[in-house]
Amino acid sequence: MVWRLLNFQKHNIFENMAIDEAIFHETIRNKKAPTIRLYHSQPVAISLGYFQDARKEVNIEKCNRAGVDIARRITGGKAVFHFNEITYSVVAGDQEMSFPPDILGTYKVISKCLARGLAYLGIKADLVENGRVLSAKESEAYCFSVPSKNELLVEGRKICGSAQVRRRGGFLQHGSLLLAFDPVKTADLLLPARTPRQVEKLRETVTSVNDEVASPVDVQKICSKLKKGFIDELSMDLVEETLTSAEETLKSKLIGKYSNNLWNIQGENILN
Amino acid sequence: MKVFPEDVLYSSEHIWVRVDGYMATIGITDYAQEKLGDILSVEFLEADTYVERDETFGSIESVKDVADLIAPVSGTISVINEDITDDSDIINRDPYDTGWLIIIEMDNLEQIDDLMVAASYHDFITQKEID
Repeated sequence: MVWRLLNFQKHNIFENMAIDEAIFHETIRNKKAPTIRLYHSQPVAISLGYFQDARKEVNIEKCNRAGVDIARRITGGKAVFHFNEITYSVVAGDQEMSFPPDILGTYKVISKCLARGLAYLGIKADLVENGRVLSAKESEAYCFSVPSKNELLVEGRKICGSAQVRRRGGFLQHGSLLLAFDPVKTADLLLPARTPRQVEKLRETVTSVNDEVASPVDVQKICSKLKKGFIDELSMDLVEETLTSAEETLKSKLIGKYSNNLWNIQGENILN
Repeated sequence: MKVFPEDVLYSSEHIWVRVDGYMATIGITDYAQEKLGDILSVEFLEADTYVERDETFGSIESVKDVADLIAPVSGTISVINEDITDDSDIINRDPYDTGWLIIIEMDNLEQIDDLMVAASYHDFITQKEID
């Protein structure tokens, strides 16, 4: 079994979202082998879940002033601050037998791969059996505030947040693995505004790779361990490749959507 | 140039309806496919599902958006066009014929009277573009 790897790349968030979506549609359309992608967003960015309203979740003015891009994903879930993190994506068609045909089962398989990759870095991450329930006063807009079922915790603190979309024929899951966590900066860009106590709470419930290792680990090493985690957990080969020409063409079209405020901020139906 | 066939009726949600007795063949209009751009996938409620008028019967995803498909009439989804679920490009190429979406078996023929004829839909679109 041979899967494709698109190894660590840096693009702006709009291009990153367009690449993931292009791979997703092309994989379903052509019943292709799965793809794993590892990437970074530059400039720093916030991505929102498909059902979130940017005007309620993000301090848009502050983001604009700070040069932080805002993009809406096609996956569900909550807001992610793409800063000091590695984003992963996994795309697979329904014909791929490694994944069960449901969201939580797929989360579980991918979380096990990530956990194994983290274990190779010396980090023991556990799958959450049940999602944590927040009180009404706690913020729910930020992805790392809430561990969902089958996501990863290190000693009770969330280290990776994921989101998924399924269509007839396959799924796309992407997620964010924190390399370092800055609760002040994170809280500053998200709504509603946090009290110092809430920021402290965020610090207590979130961790990162570099919080859990003795000395800082570089991105290439982390990517290499994550890659090994997938290979060993799923017993497959991962071959480094590039986008196909059809994916490149579709990506170019999709960038128009992801760099458009109608999609990202206003979330309006184009037909209305 | 947008096309407005006269043998179908239109809803304000850019759905066309071709009526044959109690059976209503349904698709998206040329205006809708042009606004959406390249269509990437389309998904529907399952066959035999009852849908109320103005409720969602599926969604359509394009390079520009993901749009809900709103039922123009109430009834039971009797047939789904499997050709377009496998090759959604057909909707862009031929929205009024081979790109049809579903067939609904209507239970209230009076609802047809609330749909627009081609000239009215043309005016509706024109006004929308001015707005």
